[in-house]
Amino acid sequence: MFPGSEAALMDEGFASLPEAPAEDPVAPLIERILGGEVNAFEDLMARTEARVLALAWRMLGDRHLAEDAAQETYLRVFRSLHTFRQGERFEAWLVRIAVNVCRDLARKRGPLPLPLDSMEMLPRDPAPTEAEEVTLLGQRRALVQQALASLPQGERAALVLRDLEGLTTEEAARLLGVRPVTVRSQAASARAKVQAFCTRLLHPHGGHP
Amino acid sequence: MTPHVLHQLPLWVEGDLDAADMAVVDHHLDQCPDCRSAAENLRASQIQLREAMVSPFGASDRERLRRQVMVQVRAEGAAKPVRRLLPRFALLVACAASLLLTVFLRRQGPAAVAPEPTSAPKGHQHPAQPPPALAVRQDPLPSHTRGPAASARKAQPPAGPTRIEFQTADPTIRIIWLAQSKPLPDTTPSLEEKS
Repeated sequence: MFPGSEAALMDEGFASLPEAPAEDPVAPLIERILGGEVNAFEDLMARTEARVLALAWRMLGDRHLAEDAAQETYLRVFRSLHTFRQGERFEAWLVRIAVNVCRDLARKRGPLPLPLDSMEMLPRDPAPTEAEEVTLLGQRRALVQQALASLPQGERAALVLRDLEGLTTEEAARLLGVRPVTVRSQAASARAKVQAFCTRLLHPHGGHP
Repeated sequence: MTPHVLHQLPLWVEGDLDAADMAVVDHHLDQCPDCRSAAENLRASQIQLREAMVSPFGASDRERLRRQVMVQVRAEGAAKPVRRLLPRFALLVACAASLLLTVFLRRQGPAAVAPEPTSAPKGHQHPAQPPPALAVRQDPLPSHTRGPAASARKAQPPAGPTRIEFQTADPTIRIIWLAQSKPLPDTTPSLEEKS
């Protein structure tokens, strides 16, 4: 249905976070930064910023807030890089900081605006033109984003980490500070709610998609 | 027919069930068109979710973020450089240098330890002894007596130990040694015996 989506997620670093890989590719960069070569931080960012921005946007659902979160994440990383333990995977450490920053910002922001009551403007043409297809795609995206916005923060975080960031249930549980069974249950609940939300707004009178 | 599995589908769709439960659900879906339809809808919803949540940020957004962060990182790095290995290394080098200097001064004789000895025997005084090499500073007075008053007190032999300061490459690290100029009682006789 959306053949490019998996590839795009892979480009953003859609990969699991192994605990102790043989050698972290950014380890030499970290050594340089800790040795006082501040400009090496730019290289470190270039390697990881796409994933951090994507994660922040998925967690927060707001472009500007996601940029703020990414900026704050990297500043925290720079300030506490000396506490990073050798042998730990840097990207896992980075994602943990990004998740914490996003949760802080989400708490400060408060609940998201209420979702739309319906999306009946979506075209139901069985054979849409190319332009209509683009419009339809944009509206579907908006719909899914509204569905995510309607989720409680815990369920959203579980869904994002588990299904969009590609973490295992155990990794997501560690990041969120909860038990794996909680992540499993929150992610499942979120999946069901997103589907129900989209179905309800696309077909408010109970029709099938 | 086995019981419906609608409540298990949100776990099944991402493989969150154990192998036995997965097999049960798969078996039921083969028999039940309603559950199979629900499973297909859920699978389509997950695909839509992934498609909709592809990052909207492009290369220009990432470069802007990098620029903004690096401005602050460079400012903070200049004010308080990131250090972890450097202090340890500098301290190690300073300690080694101090040790070497101590050995060197001891070999030169007791007078070399203190150009203006305070408590050494009078017969061992060498006032014209040049200061040691490298970035070592010898000060016969404690730091609180340095300054304009120090020259006034120069004529009087100070009672405290000799002060030796090292300035390391890091401007924030200075090694200060307070050296006792009096030779150890067991080393002086051995030197005399050799001569």
